[in-house]
Amino acid sequence: MPEFLLEVGTEELPALDAPALAEALGRSLADSLPAERLPFERLEVLWTPRRLAVLIKGLPGRQEDLVEEVRGPAVAVGLDDNGNPTQAALGFLRKYGASPEDLKRKRVGDKEYLFLEVRTQGRPAGEVLREIVPQAIRSLPCRKTMRWDSSGVAFLRPIRWLVCLLDGEVIPVRYGNLVADRVTRGHRFFGPKEIPLESPGEYRERLREGRVIADPKERAGMIEEAAREVEKGHGVRALWTEELLGILVGSLEWPAPVLGEFPAEFLDLPAPVIAAVLHEEGKFIPFAKDGEPAPVFLGFRDGKEDEKGYVRQGFERVVKARLRDARFFFENDLKKPLPERVEDLKGIVHEARLGTVWDRVQRIHHIAMKAAEALGLSEGERRHLDRAALLCKADLTTEMVKEFPELEGVMGGIYARKAGEPEEVARAIEEHLLPRTRGDELPSTAVGTVLSLAEKLDAVMGAFAIGEIPTGSRDPYGIRRAANALVHLVLGKPLVLDLFRLVDEAVGLYPEVPGGKGPEEVKRFLLDRLRHALRDELDYDVVEAVLAVPRGDFHGLKGRALALARLREEDRRALEDLATAFGRLKNIAGKHGRMEFDPALFREEAEEALWRTYLEVKSLLEEAMAKRDFPEALAHLRRLVGPVNRYFDEVFVMHEDERIRENRLSFLRSVMELFLEIGDLSRLMI
Amino acid sequence: MRGSQKRVKTFQDLVLALHEYWRDQGCVIFEPYDVEKGAGTFNPATFFGCLGPDPWRVAYIEPSRRPTDGRYGENPIRLRLHHQYQVILKPPPPDIQDLYLGSLEHVGIDLRDHDVKFSEDDWESPTLGAWGVGWQVWLDEMEITQFTYFQQMGGVDLDPVSVELTYGLERIAIFLQGVESAFDLLWSEDVRYGEIWHEKERQFSIYNFERADVGRIRRMFELAEAEAKSCLEAGLVFPAYDHVLHCSHLFNVLDARGAISVTERESYIARIRELARACAQKYLALLEESRARVLA
Repeated sequence: MPEFLLEVGTEELPALDAPALAEALGRSLADSLPAERLPFERLEVLWTPRRLAVLIKGLPGRQEDLVEEVRGPAVAVGLDDNGNPTQAALGFLRKYGASPEDLKRKRVGDKEYLFLEVRTQGRPAGEVLREIVPQAIRSLPCRKTMRWDSSGVAFLRPIRWLVCLLDGEVIPVRYGNLVADRVTRGHRFFGPKEIPLESPGEYRERLREGRVIADPKERAGMIEEAAREVEKGHGVRALWTEELLGILVGSLEWPAPVLGEFPAEFLDLPAPVIAAVLHEEGKFIPFAKDGEPAPVFLGFRDGKEDEKGYVRQGFERVVKARLRDARFFFENDLKKPLPERVEDLKGIVHEARLGTVWDRVQRIHHIAMKAAEALGLSEGERRHLDRAALLCKADLTTEMVKEFPELEGVMGGIYARKAGEPEEVARAIEEHLLPRTRGDELPSTAVGTVLSLAEKLDAVMGAFAIGEIPTGSRDPYGIRRAANALVHLVLGKPLVLDLFRLVDEAVGLYPEVPGGKGPEEVKRFLLDRLRHALRDELDYDVVEAVLAVPRGDFHGLKGRALALARLREEDRRALEDLATAFGRLKNIAGKHGRMEFDPALFREEAEEALWRTYLEVKSLLEEAMAKRDFPEALAHLRRLVGPVNRYFDEVFVMHEDERIRENRLSFLRSVMELFLEIGDLSRLMI
Repeated sequence: MRGSQKRVKTFQDLVLALHEYWRDQGCVIFEPYDVEKGAGTFNPATFFGCLGPDPWRVAYIEPSRRPTDGRYGENPIRLRLHHQYQVILKPPPPDIQDLYLGSLEHVGIDLRDHDVKFSEDDWESPTLGAWGVGWQVWLDEMEITQFTYFQQMGGVDLDPVSVELTYGLERIAIFLQGVESAFDLLWSEDVRYGEIWHEKERQFSIYNFERADVGRIRRMFELAEAEAKSCLEAGLVFPAYDHVLHCSHLFNVLDARGAISVTERESYIARIRELARACAQKYLALLEESRARVLA
């Protein structure tokens, strides 16, 4: 079975975009080949900064034949009285080159038609590939496109060559001004400029000879291995981020490690500063020894080992210069203690309509103190929070944060300590932006947690107040991320508080702006982010059931959803019974507004029975909810199932006497309310 | 790599070697434009040269003034005025990356002994209404060149597109001469960079950060803006553009002086961009009318 290779040769792709583009190219072919009746056995995606490649094994030489039934004229029109074909039928036969004996008759609806079985011979795979490859390239999703020549084609970076081989044969695909050939290119500096390929199968090996590792996993392995060797050799630990590895894999065709050192005199700089200097632009891997920065770093040269040591010297010179800059910033920053910088925040506009950063700090402070009250922070914690909130943004005026924005907060903590602030205050400042990303750690202290919560809620409420809400993939103020972090904080710590109340209490802090959005929209947005978070781990319908009864207690909402999910796991039937009983109640009483009822108007035994159970369950439910024991609450609700079903079997709700009818509806509505403590169970898929 | 390797010792040799290399690639060797500007891109040879359909190859050195980058002459590499070497190739040849790398070899950098990476960096100038796509070029992890495929200039979609190469001359010279500070560079065999530039860095830093009279500079901005507008009304696109350059520089001084709030900044930038757009439009109209080459 033939093998196929497509390589799209480019100028250097942005390091973090290449993998998704390569995957998309593979997916596009994986979708279109079977659709074109060219099923294949295996497809593999390879890429480097300068190429996206797809290798396909086990492709048929030609498409399978296509057999279709084609409808011709109706029998009444196509055959004369003697059953011979008329002119109409002969025309139909001519069109498909068939003879009268090929005709079949088949009924469609209430009429009989003439049919032909038409076989279209499959085309050679190469011919089909010539058509689908350009489409696959054209449809690659780029976040930004550019033009580079007169052809008018656009891509993320210029496409400079194409390789398209079916076994030994070139498929001369055209794209823009290019025609595909069999010639790939080696490493820019250490490989041959042109590598003619005999067949797809030799792609990896010929590239390897040309100092290019086509497989990104192999490059990642080389990078990790190099870091491990430094770890072993120096007794240190590499300080990785996933992003750093991604950038390295995405910017090297052949990672060759270069170990550098920097003078120990710089080790008195704070560890995060050293890491930031080395991480800058995703260049170097920092190391730590016993938790303290180590004076070594690992960089990579692309293509070949640094035999003469020139590259190492260059790296070391650059790192030293940057560390020297960092020291300059650090020492300058220390000349003005952090608390004195708070006043300067009045001069930094946060957002024209929302005022200065100082204004933002006031709002954060206000929200934080309210949240501290709701969460019952101690006197001492509140004192520290009061101070930390005031200082949390002061590091925005420092040179270090201007130079390394990712050190915001971290520097605030360091400078707070230098200014003699209590450790709790410094720690809270340091933690007030956590979690920075999905999966990042949460603040470790109560004060840091509350400050982070307030910081995020202010970001969200501020953006809503001025109508700058995220739409689609557009989120200029990073609000979605802030809200996700907020939800993460509440669920992760966890925090038991009413976020909606916090929103309501903060509304007055924001200006009224035309086009601004109010607190109800903030709440809906936050709920939506909660929905997003819960769906990661729970069934869709369980999440919808609890969110149908919106509450500001997000932790409680999650607890309810978990209880439902657990019941589904343990006793599926029981959950279905609950949902069914609730459904019956909702059908009849869902739209009924009143809840006051009078037991004296009950007429049937089943009514009395349900009422007795209702009273018992109601008080037990209250107790369970107070303890936030949602599984227990569900267990109590289950006791209602029997009596509810019996009620519907025996009682005719729509009694002719209006007073009795209304009373029954109000009673059922009250029973339904108990279920709503957990959620709208009619949303469950049973 | 093409080109023969040079032994480039001094700063001025570096410039001459680049001139030589790009002259051989058919570039017009242009001069710095004698109006203050923050980057070589603002030179009319680039701004106007990228507009319109005619092929255009130009190379020149450009002293670029960035008031906020001043460090009183105390930082080895951050300078209020640094020198860019600027190349425009319209349309870009398909082997443009190799051509560029050839220029590094030509000035004496042996690429087989060093490390060169093209790292994503998309360039944008909100004041010129211009943007492009490309890289920073890193030599042993030191940034030496901005490499950009311009897509838009003065708010106009470019067809054909141009490639702009902006070499940071001080950085390359530091690399070649093996010194740590720009001020230690040899400008010529017997004159050091610092002897020419150090005191100027100090004085301009004091001026830009501490002394520039905000009220007067603002008025100068208004005057330059008004002058640009009246030139545009009279169809005098090149004089108008000189005043756009004045506006841009005065804005940079105000910025360094800390006199511009975030909101004001937006509106200043928008005002300059409007003028730049108008210049681009007028220039294209002129090309249409005259049906002659009016090169930048």
